[in-house]
Amino acid sequence: MMAENKSESTSNTESTVPGTGTGGTLEKAPLYKPPKERFLEVRGSVGRNESLILGLAGVVAFFGIWEICHYLTPESQQKFLPSVEQVVGKIYGLIRDKGYFSDIGKSVYRIYLSFTVACLIAVPLGLLMGCFIKLRALINPTVGGLRYLPAASFVPLLLVYFGPTDFAKMALLFLGCVFFLIALILDNVLSVPKELIESAQTMGASRRHIVLKVALPAAAPQILDSMRNMIAVSWTYLVIAEIVAATDGIGAVMMRAARFLHVDIIMGGILTIGILGVLTDISFRLAARFLFPYQYARH
Amino acid sequence: MSNSGKDSLSRDASLEQGRAAGEPPARANRVSKEYVGGKIVALDDVSLDIRENQVTALIGPSGCGKTTMLRLIAGLEYPTRGGVEVYGQPILGPGPERGMVFQAYTSFPWLSVLKNVEHGMKIQGLPRDARRARAEKFLKLVHLDDFADSYPVQLSGGMKQRVAIARTLAQNPQLLLLDEPFGALDAQVTWEMEEMIIEIIESENKTVILITHDIQEAIYLADRIIFFTRQPGKIKADMPMEFKGGRRFLRKEDLLSEPGYVDMEKLLYQMMREEIQGRVS
Ligand SMILES: Nc1ncnc2c1ncn2[C@@H]1O[C@H](COP(=O)(O)OP(=O)(O)OP(=O)(O)O)[C@@H](O)[C@H]1O
Ligand SMILES: [Mg+2]
Repeated sequence: MMAENKSESTSNTESTVPGTGTGGTLEKAPLYKPPKERFLEVRGSVGRNESLILGLAGVVAFFGIWEICHYLTPESQQKFLPSVEQVVGKIYGLIRDKGYFSDIGKSVYRIYLSFTVACLIAVPLGLLMGCFIKLRALINPTVGGLRYLPAASFVPLLLVYFGPTDFAKMALLFLGCVFFLIALILDNVLSVPKELIESAQTMGASRRHIVLKVALPAAAPQILDSMRNMIAVSWTYLVIAEIVAATDGIGAVMMRAARFLHVDIIMGGILTIGILGVLTDISFRLAARFLFPYQYARH
Repeated sequence: MSNSGKDSLSRDASLEQGRAAGEPPARANRVSKEYVGGKIVALDDVSLDIRENQVTALIGPSGCGKTTMLRLIAGLEYPTRGGVEVYGQPILGPGPERGMVFQAYTSFPWLSVLKNVEHGMKIQGLPRDARRARAEKFLKLVHLDDFADSYPVQLSGGMKQRVAIARTLAQNPQLLLLDEPFGALDAQVTWEMEEMIIEIIESENKTVILITHDIQEAIYLADRIIFFTRQPGKIKADMPMEFKGGRRFLRKEDLLSEPGYVDMEKLLYQMMREEIQGRVS
């Protein structure tokens, strides 16, 4: 140890001599070694690989705890808390024998279609309300109030209006997120720095130009973020929506399983929704990188 | 769309008429501006005429209403009392003939530096090639031609401000409203920019209203300095830079040896001290 240290330090001093000296090979200064970061460093840094490893560690820990809980449960009760491999096996079985993929497809279709429609309404409305204060005064109190109505309370109404149709399910998903989406997008547009809009005005921009070419692109990254957060909420409404006359979709599969106390299927459904949610989130983040490259230009 | 285009044209014509009739590029007529229902009086019965092809500097202690005055002329706000005119026309809102550089950063983050500078010209419907050429010219003037394709996030604060300056100049306004345009720049870039402004107003006959807190800068750039008092904002002094004899100096150091320069600087420092001491009591 000691000897090694010593030889290192001597070789170090030797190597710095030519650099500072008169001639010989010019060497660069040694790489700077920043102080070691603690695990809980305030605003510390995390590398790409490191964050991947940490993320995976979190996932493994989650399933590990689940697994431990399963084995701690008395054997007679274990069917109420199946193990991870049982649930995963069940998902595989559902896919192979029960056409689970078409249920998944159906649910994804409902979420995305209803969410797209919600966005088609919320983005223009939020944008216009954010740009024109009188429109906001007209619309916002109503929309703001509607947010407080629990989406689930619309279920009976939708059943009466539309029966156990696909439309009713999507209408519920739509109602569950559209009002929040409008409010969030309004906030996004309102937080566009006023100087950006004013400098466009001093360039002689028309109202149309300001709404479409200044306010919209300025708020766009935050709007996409709001969408990402609200589509997560939409996923949480999925099961409620598909209880409405359970015929197909992930929620329907889960409700059917509930009747026969098939906890493994229910948990499989929950796990599926979780995975789909994570994939949705990732795709939104990728979209942000693609759509707003300037935000990442610094790195 | 076509309607508003016609409007701005007819408006332009009336501005042109006012200009021909000798109306000043900007005039404040007994202007008061109150905020918070009269609790804050930013400007109190201020009258002033801005003269064509002159650089007028507004200086005064922080919070005395300089930005407010400029925003009234830009048409971004309206006075509580009195009236503001451009070339004899009452101001009904912002317009491209009054270009403004703001105190805060206003580059559009989603556009490249070049596109930022082109933006004003794009709004005015300049063809693409003309736009590009003019933008490149002004980027060169502010030494940012190497950063044409960068995004604003990649620039330092001073560089962002230079983009804003280039953008406003490229828009070719008759009246340039500059709100502490060099506040964020370091000393060396500041005087380069100051000399650039002198070059531009000499070659393009612009009227400039400049807000600054830098006394030396005010004397160097201005043909006339208007000193505002602390709240409520009033004009404390209106001083033509007579010692310059109508000359502008392309090199800043040439000004320093000018007789009368030191006296002017001293006077302004004294006035500033009076205002600051007024705050203590
Ligand atoms: N929108 C506003 N609402 C309320 N008060 C305001 C508003 N804008 C300005 N004021 C007040 O008006 C006064 C003058 O402000 P202004 O921004 O014109 O000062 P300034 O001379 O530009 O100061 P500085 O040199 O610090 O930029 C200040 O007291 C400020 O608090
Ligand atoms: Mg100011």
